[in-house]
Amino acid sequence: MAFADAFYNTIVKRNSVFVPAIFAGAFAFNMGFDIAISQFWDHWNRGRQWKDIRGRYIQDADES
Amino acid sequence: MASSSAVRKAVNLPPTVRALPSGIPSAPRLNLATRAPSDGHHGHGPTLRSDTPSRFTGGLKTTPAGPVYKTVVSPPAANLYQQRHIHTSAVAKDAPEVPDYSAYRPQSDSNNRALSYFMVGSLGVLSASAAKSTLTGFLETMAASADVLAMAKTEVELASIPEGKNVVIKWRGKPVFIRHRTPEEIEEARSVNWKSLRDPQPDEARVKKPEWLVMLGVCTHLGCVPIGEAGDYGGWFCPCHGSHYDISGRARKGPAPLNLEIPPYELNEGDNKLVIG
Repeated sequence: MAFADAFYNTIVKRNSVFVPAIFAGAFAFNMGFDIAISQFWDHWNRGRQWKDIRGRYIQDADES
Repeated sequence: MASSSAVRKAVNLPPTVRALPSGIPSAPRLNLATRAPSDGHHGHGPTLRSDTPSRFTGGLKTTPAGPVYKTVVSPPAANLYQQRHIHTSAVAKDAPEVPDYSAYRPQSDSNNRALSYFMVGSLGVLSASAAKSTLTGFLETMAASADVLAMAKTEVELASIPEGKNVVIKWRGKPVFIRHRTPEEIEEARSVNWKSLRDPQPDEARVKKPEWLVMLGVCTHLGCVPIGEAGDYGGWFCPCHGSHYDISGRARKGPAPLNLEIPPYELNEGDNKLVIG
């Protein structure tokens, strides 16, 4: 109840605060979503991407 | 009953003096169920009121003295009676409400309001995010692709350039001057009062590391390629129209209006490499 009222009074009550809050939230959500999806992608494809196997080939090149 | 010469301009109804126990004014002779005479504009003609007095009871007549309303008999105003129920306040509940909606009503109005606005805001966040992704997706199609960008870069091995030497390399069809400056040259470039120059720019703004000066070898006057280690200021000299540039590539003399342009470049400390582009 107190949290709901605090949320309403601080963010929602004025449209001049609500709309920028939505844009800021969209920005943060975009970044967070990108990071989360990238991490999931790297986790799903771990051991298959160039950045994972680069160490083997670069060392070989240095030795030869 | 009434005198035949009575001329009545208006009819006064007596005020209601009594109220029913329900609070409704008592008007027993007033028939509220009758329909008003229509003006016949919907394709059907005016209908006669059922309580219109018959013609023989009197009526309006036009005489040379003006309209005269003549009443012969006083008929009852209406022969229909109906109780009118008028709601004036909230309905008194004398029985529990069926069905019972209390389980579906919000327990807290402020929680309900906050949740509603939170959902509105969440939809806004998701829509704005999707709109931004769509827009950037479209704009990215206009950017140069990775292979084009890779071809547009030039790498230079910095270890191969000794101190106090110029190197000219080709980058995107244009010459780029790279100068490994000596400490004296750096000192000279920084001691100049740059605020008095034609294109005022400090040496610190033109180099990333003071010993490496990287700039586009195109004279800012008309696009000739200046000659290195020449001119009055120990820097570059354009043979076409005689512009002199100092050791920081700044225009000092001659028709050149601007300093030599600095391309975007990266100094790679680990590999000791310079990447232009």
